[in-house]
Amino acid sequence: MGPTISALMSILLHLSVILVFSPFILGVIGKTKAFFAGRWGPPVVQPYYDILKLLRKGSVYSTMTTWIFRAAPMIAMAAILAAGILMPFAGLKAPVQFWGDVVLFAYLFGLARFFMVLAALDTGSSFEGMGASREMTFSCLSEVALFLNFTVLALISKSLSLSGLIGGDVSLLWHVLGPALTLVVISFFLILLCENSRIPVDDPATHLELTMIHEVMVLDHSGVDFAYILYGSAVKLFILGSFLISIILPFKTQNVFMDTAVYLSGMTGLAVVIGVIESAMARLRLNRVPYLLISAVILAVFAFIITLVRGGS
Amino acid sequence: MLFVLIVVPFIMAGLVFILPNKRTGILLFIATALFHLSCVISFWKETPQAQWQNYLSLDVLGLLILSIISALFVVVSFYLIAYLKKEEDRSVRLFLICLLVFLSTTTLVTVSRHLGLLWIAVEATTFFSAILINFHRAPQGIEATWKFLLICSVGIALALLGTLFMAVAATNIKSLLLEELLSHASSLDVSWLKLSVIFLLVGYGTKMGLVPMHSWKPDTYGEAPGPVGALMSGALTSCAFLSILRVGQICHQAGQMAFFQSIMLLLGMLSLFVASIFILGQTDFKRMLGYSSIEHMGILALGIGLGGTGFYGSLYHMLNNAFAKGLMFLVAGNLYRQYKTSRAKDIKGVLHSYPWTGVLLLAGFLCVTGFPPFGTFFSELMILNAAIMGKHYWFAALFVLFLAVIFIGISKIILRMALGVPQDKSLDHPQHESIYMIIPPVILGLIVLMLGIYMPACVHEALQTASAIFEGQ
Amino acid sequence: MEIWLDTALILVVLLGLFMTGSNRLGAIIQIFGLQSVVLGIVPFLMYFSKIEIHIVFVSLVAIVLKGFLMPYFLFWAIRHVSIRREVSPLIGFGTTLFLSGLLIAGSFILSSRLVFPGPAISDFIIPASFSTIMMGFLLLISRAKAITQVVGYLVMENGIFLFALLLLEKTPLLVEMGILLDVFVGALVMGIVVNHISDQFEHTDTSHLTVLRD
Repeated sequence: MGPTISALMSILLHLSVILVFSPFILGVIGKTKAFFAGRWGPPVVQPYYDILKLLRKGSVYSTMTTWIFRAAPMIAMAAILAAGILMPFAGLKAPVQFWGDVVLFAYLFGLARFFMVLAALDTGSSFEGMGASREMTFSCLSEVALFLNFTVLALISKSLSLSGLIGGDVSLLWHVLGPALTLVVISFFLILLCENSRIPVDDPATHLELTMIHEVMVLDHSGVDFAYILYGSAVKLFILGSFLISIILPFKTQNVFMDTAVYLSGMTGLAVVIGVIESAMARLRLNRVPYLLISAVILAVFAFIITLVRGGS
Repeated sequence: MLFVLIVVPFIMAGLVFILPNKRTGILLFIATALFHLSCVISFWKETPQAQWQNYLSLDVLGLLILSIISALFVVVSFYLIAYLKKEEDRSVRLFLICLLVFLSTTTLVTVSRHLGLLWIAVEATTFFSAILINFHRAPQGIEATWKFLLICSVGIALALLGTLFMAVAATNIKSLLLEELLSHASSLDVSWLKLSVIFLLVGYGTKMGLVPMHSWKPDTYGEAPGPVGALMSGALTSCAFLSILRVGQICHQAGQMAFFQSIMLLLGMLSLFVASIFILGQTDFKRMLGYSSIEHMGILALGIGLGGTGFYGSLYHMLNNAFAKGLMFLVAGNLYRQYKTSRAKDIKGVLHSYPWTGVLLLAGFLCVTGFPPFGTFFSELMILNAAIMGKHYWFAALFVLFLAVIFIGISKIILRMALGVPQDKSLDHPQHESIYMIIPPVILGLIVLMLGIYMPACVHEALQTASAIFEGQ
Repeated sequence: MEIWLDTALILVVLLGLFMTGSNRLGAIIQIFGLQSVVLGIVPFLMYFSKIEIHIVFVSLVAIVLKGFLMPYFLFWAIRHVSIRREVSPLIGFGTTLFLSGLLIAGSFILSSRLVFPGPAISDFIIPASFSTIMMGFLLLISRAKAITQVVGYLVMENGIFLFALLLLEKTPLLVEMGILLDVFVGALVMGIVVNHISDQFEHTDTSHLTVLRD
């Protein structure tokens, strides 16, 4: 097989892994929340059923919308999957890696968000517009924090490629740069909660339109479009979560299966943690969310300073 | 002996706590003050032994300030017999306990030879004087207490930082004992020393009341009762000045005197400037005294900053100022008891209604503004002389200008209060004035007069030895 | 051992940061208690190889006095205060947080310029101490409630204590004790005055204490 075909095969393998496993994370979160509420809750594979159900349904389009409204979910999904290709998982190397792909990674998410916001504005409804403005405000701050975290990791691993950042060497530096990495982990976790619209930033289960951020933006989508949006948010959570797990858990054992097992249990653990937070905390008042994000920024800055001071020795 | 001197007031405070009777409390207080004074007089004749591995020892600077504290305490203790007559037992008890501990801690300031111990003593004086401020339990009193506590605590915290920096500068010397620091001053790290000096001057300058750390002074002196004001402006500021002088000693030995003096000059001139502006148009008599205190602290700083005869002048002025302010604040206490207010426009014709207090008011006015033949005139003249001799003509000119403005401001208030016809018809003829409220201020006034006309040889010698510490290389 | 010392110092600074960003009186006092406890452990971590009774004593007194007694006393002082929520600081929470971040960065820059004679046990002690001092100061000047100002002063003292730990071997026990006791008595007196303020005015908002002015 030529190099092109093997490259194509590895991309397909990567994508299928992502697509297969991401709704599982949502399922675990739902199960954890149910457990805390004293219920049995929906089965862990429920998100798969939801997506399949939605794929079979028809879509309703408002007459006020344009082609953006129809195209946005597809573009968002495509962008997120493209970002997934840049991301190495346990055992699997990223099919595409080049120097500076971190920036592409961040901005693919930005592209997805951009089109979702456009679609929301496209409907002409004030609810979606409100959600869109909130989403953009918070993403301004979270992107700053995200890039600062990338900077710290780049400083440690001396590489600007995503694979280099979390290539596995980072985990081994825990006993030297422990405090800095802890701060990065906390900061990144806050960013994760913000980007995926989890409590305490946004409540995914709320029905009150005035308190929604992400939910209200996608209020008018239905059928296949909504399936793409749901799937897309699951994939986004999966990708960002695996970035976090790669920093926390070292998996450079030689055995591929061991690596994968550790990785999967890490992801499940992360999902449980998110579920616990969702059950234990309430959503922050909207005007307090920027303070949370500013704290994430300051934590990242502090980690940066520590790395500069410690890294010199 | 030194240790005894510090501990006795403390023990007496405990006794006052146990015995609730007001009378016995005041008697114990007077006894302690007299004991303290007799010890101090014996120190003039024969220097006491150093104690506690040289942590406590009395040098000539310490002796001067210790004498101020002691004299003021004795005078105030007799004054309190009449001042506390109408107060209830419980508040008097707390008052006396705090005053006694205050005596203890200020004594500790004068005898400590370790910079850390010095800091602890100064910090302790802050807290106990804070409790004394709100004796009259007025809402403004609480406000004054709060501002005093907060500003002085922050200042003292900065002084602690400065002390720590000094310890870093003295890494080779490994000790913060003044003797060690002075003898090995050349091995002090210069940059850490300078950093330490800045923080120490800001910190102890807050206690002294130099601008720009002065904002607590008018409020505090305005609300504190007369005797407390006398002790704070006389004893406490002198202790703070002593701490600054210790820093100066170290700088002098380390060859950084010019740096130290330039900061003192700046602080001194700023204090004079601010005091002169705010004294014009003051309506409250005790607040005006607060600004006057800022002015005199500025003069002290100016004297040290100018050098030459300025050192002697500054120390001489410290003596004069302590007793002059003591006199003025006791008079303020009298006025408060007589008129129930310290607002200047409510008090008129004091000479008419309370002749002794009126005379004391005018005498105090002359003391505080530097009129001959009172000592303050001569000390201010000496500092002016130092300015001119050192060719700092601008400083001399500004000094005279500020003094003139302050004179105008104070005279306006005091003359209006002392002269004129009383507003209240019942005060038309001379009222009764307790002898205990008259004799103590008279004694203080006589001391200032004596310092001006005839300075005792031992005092002169002490001042000369003290100023020689800063001169020459 | 070094990494635990670093972690403790970073935790101290972070707790200071949380304090400046918090708006609940109870939370501020509790975070202060936690910070003092962490700070009390630092002498152990610093002088791990040469522990003496003197260092142990200082640690214990610091933890008990500032970590437990002081917060307990501060809570007593505000027991009459029914509204435990701080009014927004004079410059707003966002600006305060941002300013804290700047001050932390500033302390690191400043301490990289100062050459410390003698063995500096960790690169983080001086920056951590300066940051804590500055954040205590920020807390003191930007808040209106009297108790928060007291906590700000205590945080400043925490920072100064941290700096003093560098000199612990040379400072005599008496001085260390004296400093700790002084701070304690100071907080005591302040707490009593706050009590008086709340009795007199039925609130502890010092922005209303503006009667005395020229």
